[in-house]
Amino acid sequence: MSTDNKTAAAIQKSSANWLFGLTLIGLLLAMCIVLSLTTKSFLSETNIMNLMRQGSMIAILAVGETFVIITTGIDLSVGAVVGFCTVIAAWLLTHDFSIMTTVIITLGVGVAIGMFHGFGIVQMGLPPFIITLATLTSLRGLGLLITNGATINIVNDTFTEFSRNDFFGLPNLFWMVILVGIPAYIFLHHSRYGRYIFAVGSNMEAARLSGVNVKLTVYLAYTLSSTCAAFVGLLLAARIGVGNAMQADGWELQAIASSVIGGTSLFGAVGSVHGPLIGAFILATINNGANLLNVNSFWQRIITGLLIILIVYFDQLRRRRG
Amino acid sequence: MVGTNPHGQTAEAAVATASVPILELRGLEKRYGATHALKPADLIFARGEIHAIVGENGAGKSTLIKLLTGVITRTSGEVFWEGQPVALATPHEAIEFGINAVHQEVVLCRHLTVAANMFLGDEDVGFGLLKKRDMTRKAQAILDDLGFQLPAHVLLGDLTIGQQQLIATARASIRGTRFLIFDEPTAYLTRTEAAQLFALIRRLKERGVTIVYISHRLEEVFELSDRVSILRDGTLVGTRVTTETNETELISLMINRSLEQIYHKEFFPAGDVLIETKNLSGPGFRDVSLSVRSGQIVGLYGLIGAGRSEFVMSLFGRQRRTGGSLFWQGKEVDIRSERQAMDLGIALAPESRRDQGLCINLPVGFNLNLPIFPRITMAGLVPFSADRQRADRQIADLQVKTSGRGALVSSLSGGNQQKIVIGKWLNHGAKLFIFDEPTVGVDVGTKAEIYRLLARLLAEGAGIILISSYLPEVYELADELHVFRRGEDIARHAYHAASHEEILSEAIGV
Repeated sequence: MSTDNKTAAAIQKSSANWLFGLTLIGLLLAMCIVLSLTTKSFLSETNIMNLMRQGSMIAILAVGETFVIITTGIDLSVGAVVGFCTVIAAWLLTHDFSIMTTVIITLGVGVAIGMFHGFGIVQMGLPPFIITLATLTSLRGLGLLITNGATINIVNDTFTEFSRNDFFGLPNLFWMVILVGIPAYIFLHHSRYGRYIFAVGSNMEAARLSGVNVKLTVYLAYTLSSTCAAFVGLLLAARIGVGNAMQADGWELQAIASSVIGGTSLFGAVGSVHGPLIGAFILATINNGANLLNVNSFWQRIITGLLIILIVYFDQLRRRRG
Repeated sequence: MVGTNPHGQTAEAAVATASVPILELRGLEKRYGATHALKPADLIFARGEIHAIVGENGAGKSTLIKLLTGVITRTSGEVFWEGQPVALATPHEAIEFGINAVHQEVVLCRHLTVAANMFLGDEDVGFGLLKKRDMTRKAQAILDDLGFQLPAHVLLGDLTIGQQQLIATARASIRGTRFLIFDEPTAYLTRTEAAQLFALIRRLKERGVTIVYISHRLEEVFELSDRVSILRDGTLVGTRVTTETNETELISLMINRSLEQIYHKEFFPAGDVLIETKNLSGPGFRDVSLSVRSGQIVGLYGLIGAGRSEFVMSLFGRQRRTGGSLFWQGKEVDIRSERQAMDLGIALAPESRRDQGLCINLPVGFNLNLPIFPRITMAGLVPFSADRQRADRQIADLQVKTSGRGALVSSLSGGNQQKIVIGKWLNHGAKLFIFDEPTVGVDVGTKAEIYRLLARLLAEGAGIILISSYLPEVYELADELHVFRRGEDIARHAYHAASHEEILSEAIGV
């Protein structure tokens, strides 16, 4: 009998997880409704398109970051990787490389950075916080060194127009979220290594004793995170038309915040792909709405901070109850 | 004893009927530094038998399991798998042979579903995607077939520990396991769950799987096993065919040790009552009534998980009591915090040095003075001189072997670490000292020193609660011995009033 009760409770709990996803969407929708009632311009096509573009890049970063956080790690370098990759992309384009080559090489740089993180954590035994903090500062420095502190202008209209154009009524940048999100979802929730990412985060020893290649799993998580960041670097370079090592300052924190708002646990083993995506757009909507309501931009930062505390607190209450 | 063949004649006869044994140990030995965890052991496991291993806590059972599952490597000796010598150096190698273990504490991923855990590391994949539905269906079929009424699609963490244990067993049973070790599997199980587990074990045996079954519960040993081996103080003292032995013989083999004369016991006239509990209950224990007088050692004996540590944690204010009352020097008190307990004059040297007793990455002097920083602080600062004097005095007093008060605690041996744990409370001073397993992992010389220290505390008028899972220790030292079993204080004996056999029987619940 107790088994039955327990089972019923377990089933109820898994539907509660679904409800949490719905709550986030509800929160997003509620904000949109309030903003469309209180401001004239929120629902305008330009604003919505703008909002989508703003949220897209953080959303992609957040997905990559989520893989790492699920393994109980953290990747502080993603903002710096974005900035560094705008420099790489701009440098390649100004040296007459084709767009295709530029994309491949830049993504390759992302892969290499992720592999380096994996190496530091697995082979050198460094804490993820330290190794990614180290690359954060080094990559900014390396980018400044390459450009000599200047900004590289990208004179390639096909490249720069990409981020301004639409496709089927949605901004190209938003399509990129879908392009990343769907494979990421399938990978995390429906593939063997996706499951190993959860297993490593839940109980590394149990995973190892079950024959899971823990080292490879860690490499994979960090490589995915850095590659997502490199991809965002390409998108940002196209959007602002320059390569500059100091771009995307603080984006790592926004990515972590989006992930956490989206239900990812910093203690590992809990997370999804859709959560961080919604989280990123919640953050973008807050910033957008605050702009439209003429809220001091300094206040926006404070509100974002308070919101993170609030959402994560409620999330923990929910977990404790279960 | 060492080097001789410890098998009884009857055991040899039973083995002769089987063909090549599935696993054979010859002179298997494990040392950790100076500690001899497993003295050279010869043992044969026959194909398809249920082989029980019994022994007290610290007798070497877990060392043996770790050696067999490749978690630790042996110091010397040989292991033969189906007649071939093998290294068994890694867990992976053990798994390859089909050696698996189900531990007392479940080693699975709580955040994954039951089905995902059962197939972890061995998933069904089609076109690169997990066949989740197939796996859940298969897992459910396996669970149904085993008669476990458990759902395969829920998260493992949502099941009780006992249910998780059943899942771990089911998982081992589908992985081509040929040699399965159970380490106290029923510790957290209900009776129904235990019955399901036994049914599964018998079914595995029918399929030719060799089972090693480790348990304190002798009734389970007699219910399940074909043969039983007895470990005592790291020595394999014998193997018996289960039907040819009885509980009395097993218990006498488990404790018939050569008593080392290290127990330093002095008798002091019992003084005033320091602490008294009346029907005290809390998480993990219930209805405990006992009292401690100054100049007296009260020993708490029982198996691991019997509720002794939980009881003293509650005296120390770490956990709230849920019922009963508590008197300190005759006055009723409600101890709500550790600070309050300390202020009354209670000191606790906890069970786990590493997790509860010490800041392992900080210096010796820091650890010694940690409880008294409020006392030696002047104008908000800790004067360097007071810090140094106190630390140096304790180091000299306790003869801690260290390069100085600046050395990290992690660089010390287990025995010296334990001296620091005790030293920090000597430094602080108290009327009632609670020692939870003070001599685990401590060498014989230091043990003797610790026992002399207890006598010194008594001479100064303190009272002591001593928790130990090592019977001779509490037996020889305690003026009054309480036996705990499953959260209850089930018996009390005056010094040397009961025999080892009686006490062990009470603790095990024969």
